[in-house]
Amino acid sequence: MQLTSPEDREKALHTAKKPDVIERQRLSVRYHVEDFEVHDRARRFIEAFAAILKHTNYRVALDQYVRLSAKCSRCTVKCQVYLATGDQNDIPCRRSELLLEVYRRHFTISGALRARLLGDPGLTDAKVQEMAESFYNCTACRRCHFECPMGIDHALLTHLGRYILSEIGIAPRALVVSVREQLTGSSGNTSAIPVPALLDTLEFLSDEIKEGTGRDVAFPVDQTGAEYLFFPAVSDYIMEADTLMGGAAVLSATGGQWTIGTGYFDGINYGLFYNDQILEHVVKRIHVEAERLQAKKILMGECGHASRVAKFFYPTFSGEERPRPVLNIIEYTHKAWKEGRLKLKPNVFTEKVTYHDPCNLARTGWITEQPRELLRAFCSDFVEMTPNRRDAICCGGGSGTVSMDEIRPYRTLVGGKAKADQIRATGAKYCVAPCANCKKQLRELMEDQGVDCQIVGLHDLLYKAIDFESGETHGIVD
Amino acid sequence: MESWIEFGRGPLFRIAFALMMLGLLRAVALTLIGIVEAYWRSPDKIVNWREVRSQTLAWLFPIKRLWRARPVYSTLSFLFHVGLLVVPLFLAAHVLLWKRSTGLAWFAIPQNLANILTGLAIVAGVGLCLGRLSDSGARKMSRPQDFAWPLLLVVPFLSGFVCTNLAISAKAYQSFMLLHLYSANLIMLLIPFTKLSHCILAPLSQTVTAIAWKFPAGAGDRVAATLGYADRPSWIPKARLDEVPSRERCGEVVAK
Repeated sequence: MQLTSPEDREKALHTAKKPDVIERQRLSVRYHVEDFEVHDRARRFIEAFAAILKHTNYRVALDQYVRLSAKCSRCTVKCQVYLATGDQNDIPCRRSELLLEVYRRHFTISGALRARLLGDPGLTDAKVQEMAESFYNCTACRRCHFECPMGIDHALLTHLGRYILSEIGIAPRALVVSVREQLTGSSGNTSAIPVPALLDTLEFLSDEIKEGTGRDVAFPVDQTGAEYLFFPAVSDYIMEADTLMGGAAVLSATGGQWTIGTGYFDGINYGLFYNDQILEHVVKRIHVEAERLQAKKILMGECGHASRVAKFFYPTFSGEERPRPVLNIIEYTHKAWKEGRLKLKPNVFTEKVTYHDPCNLARTGWITEQPRELLRAFCSDFVEMTPNRRDAICCGGGSGTVSMDEIRPYRTLVGGKAKADQIRATGAKYCVAPCANCKKQLRELMEDQGVDCQIVGLHDLLYKAIDFESGETHGIVD
Repeated sequence: MESWIEFGRGPLFRIAFALMMLGLLRAVALTLIGIVEAYWRSPDKIVNWREVRSQTLAWLFPIKRLWRARPVYSTLSFLFHVGLLVVPLFLAAHVLLWKRSTGLAWFAIPQNLANILTGLAIVAGVGLCLGRLSDSGARKMSRPQDFAWPLLLVVPFLSGFVCTNLAISAKAYQSFMLLHLYSANLIMLLIPFTKLSHCILAPLSQTVTAIAWKFPAGAGDRVAATLGYADRPSWIPKARLDEVPSRERCGEVVAK
């Protein structure tokens, strides 16, 4: 893979922050941070680290990794950021070592003894700044984990590093502002969509479906006892009408008993990206709404991180004895199609179509075959990118970096370069990316890297291929 | 000189071996306890054990996957490990040593095979050190111990090879035997306290990682409380605290 060109690197590393802000915050990271307590950062970092170690499960991983790291640099083969920059600081193991050396020095006996022997002063403010920079260059895609012979999960350490930094006030403003609106704002979601606007949008979408297919498909709201309570990335209501229409059409065509809750309707959870307390509180919102409406299952829309959080963290944080099952709409659609309840017309798309595996859906192997089987059912020219499935390359906007507009040059010229090259190489007209964040990143990537390919969701295309006549036709009419 | 050799072959060997085993046992025990504690603390008990098991086994016998990255270095590493594990345990002279110290005995490998494995281990050990120097990423990241270890491990192999196969004077033989014994004992003493403990801990890594992603419920709030932020969730900076109604400060879930 080619390195990013020097001009692109220059653009990518350029910061839009004003010098007086950098000076006041003593922080030269590229992303914006709300003003915070600057004084005595190193000590407060260690305090936060200690508090986190006391109450969480990170200690067992840190004890293991701090002993085992072989510094073999096998992880470099997989890291799309390192492959674009060739910069030593982007080696996953080196980034992890930033945190591991703090742990070793301050939280292990041998580390403390060695420090006495060698006169090591410990964590410095400069190191805290370096961590603040480095942990947000990583997209936490977890590809490096496959290559490490010692089994070190560098994304876990990035996650932990960001958590500690957020506890001393260093977190990307873009994420913090959205979370504040979601948890304390009047709208209760990251896009500040008030309920009346949501209802208007749903009505509009119903009308669009009626115009496009002649069918009455409503978006049920606040139905009690529904089987599925639906949570897309809330931004879909503003930006991805096609994805929502596709999902609603599938649910209608298959007689799915579903609903959207006006009490809470946002699948997004930025807590995954920088703070475990937020992660938990946002997950609890889903639980509260599910309880209010007595829903049986949680149905997530096409969003990678939202689905991953719901699937793998709802059991932890919901507080339910027997946690509600969580599924992604792709799983629902695939199952319905496999069982013959959903019919798809073949060869609806004859242009070249490729598929991008979102990290949060594919890395664990959770959703890899289902979208491909669906796509092959109605596309005649489906091409794969390589590598794919569990080994797929990150879009470059993972772990919340896509929401930070100020680092767009970095994302599209460095972090996403490998992906852009991949998509370009397929020559595809459509790239299906079932993740709201991936979609935003890939669209910006296509623009900045000059690749002619349209980024769509899975249900966007599937919508055009649904055969309403031969499947079950239970329309839920308002 | 004779008495030093007897000491190195006898009591010192037993001490070093015992400390190595106890140290490794302690490391494993602490890790297992940590895993169980973490598992117990998290409400989510569903772990993909099949995945954990398959990844663990794949890394124990990583013949296919080592070739994915740095194939030459990986081959050298594999050969190095084979020599390291087979020769100390199955060389005829060593089997006698084990029998004398522990009473246990087992089969020995033919001397030719041992010579080949030793030669490979020496070449691989030096090769690993050079490989680490030649890869810019590995070189920049490596600590002094990462360069020192392959070379230290080569010392008992080289000195043992000399003693067994070369025709040298009695004095020279004793010197090399002394080197062989004391370097081997040093290595055994260091194993539990350095990255060499990966010999017993690495297979647990996949399990550790899987468990570490299972978080305890309520931990975030307890962390905030410990840091004195009980009434101020981390997503609201201090400067704006007064803007937020108090019932929402603690992140109380507000059901509409």
